[in-house]
Amino acid sequence: MKTSIANFRSFSILVIMAFVTFSLKVVAQGGAVEDEGLPLVLIFLLPFILLSLFGVVWMILWPAMFVWGAVFSGAKVERMHEEANQRRDSLRKRMGREILNSIDGGYRTDVSSAGLVHANGVFGPSHWHLMIGFVNNLIGGSVTVFQQVISAGRAEVMQRLREQAEEDGWDEVINVRIDTASMTPQSSNTRNTVRGVEIFAYGTGIKYE
Amino acid sequence: MQQVVNGILVVNTETIPGKVITETMGVVSGSTVRAKNVGKDIFAGLKNIVGGELTQYTELLQESRNEAVGRMVADAMSIGATAVVNVRFATSAITAGAAELFAYGTAVKYE
Repeated sequence: MKTSIANFRSFSILVIMAFVTFSLKVVAQGGAVEDEGLPLVLIFLLPFILLSLFGVVWMILWPAMFVWGAVFSGAKVERMHEEANQRRDSLRKRMGREILNSIDGGYRTDVSSAGLVHANGVFGPSHWHLMIGFVNNLIGGSVTVFQQVISAGRAEVMQRLREQAEEDGWDEVINVRIDTASMTPQSSNTRNTVRGVEIFAYGTGIKYE
Repeated sequence: MQQVVNGILVVNTETIPGKVITETMGVVSGSTVRAKNVGKDIFAGLKNIVGGELTQYTELLQESRNEAVGRMVADAMSIGATAVVNVRFATSAITAGAAELFAYGTAVKYE
């Protein structure tokens, strides 16, 4: 995210402080509000008020969503992996074989047409998973939670590639490559940005005569 | 994804299956930097708390990749090629929420 959450929080504190001092001043003047002064101040403060509202909503929303993630995200990842595997199996049964190959070759000679086919997905661990991963990182060894998220994502993307190939009418996909790229740049403040990896699979679809 | 982009054949293999390459014409490339609007960024940030797929960013990268391929094809057309072989992709996140997509390959003529 370009606009970090920490900024919203500090904005909200600033705006609340400004309002408190402003209203104290009004009260000290005997409750008489200046006729032209107030709307001008409001217009000036409007973007900050919106930001502060977002900050307040975020403060309520974040713990609720964190708990939701803690309860359901692990099962959700497993379900995604299972579902992708089921779709893969049914597609294999339908086509009669596995249509993805990572070698450049091995196809029959009666090829009528060829073309690029690609599929992608961006997957991120939940904040609960990040916390478990942090503890896991201190202990060392394999960080299972992240591995689960990424392998589920990869299974899903491979299945999307198969479905895309089927939709485009290719009989086989050769020379399949899988790229994994982090969505979080190295230089950014990693505390307040979206954590996720992009998985991208591409290959050459070929159609037989 | 159409099999032929603007009349140019695009494959990521070194040869074109079923065709014969007659002439290589050098490297062609296309790149793009795209970002989603702040609203979608905020929504992705919320989705990130509970984990799972960030659909906004999937879309973003899909669109940008299509655009990068389109620019690469335009580059190939401008030098009079009929196909692009051995296409590779490179991705880099410039800031979170904006991504650079780069596609490159070798322009060729085929029979």
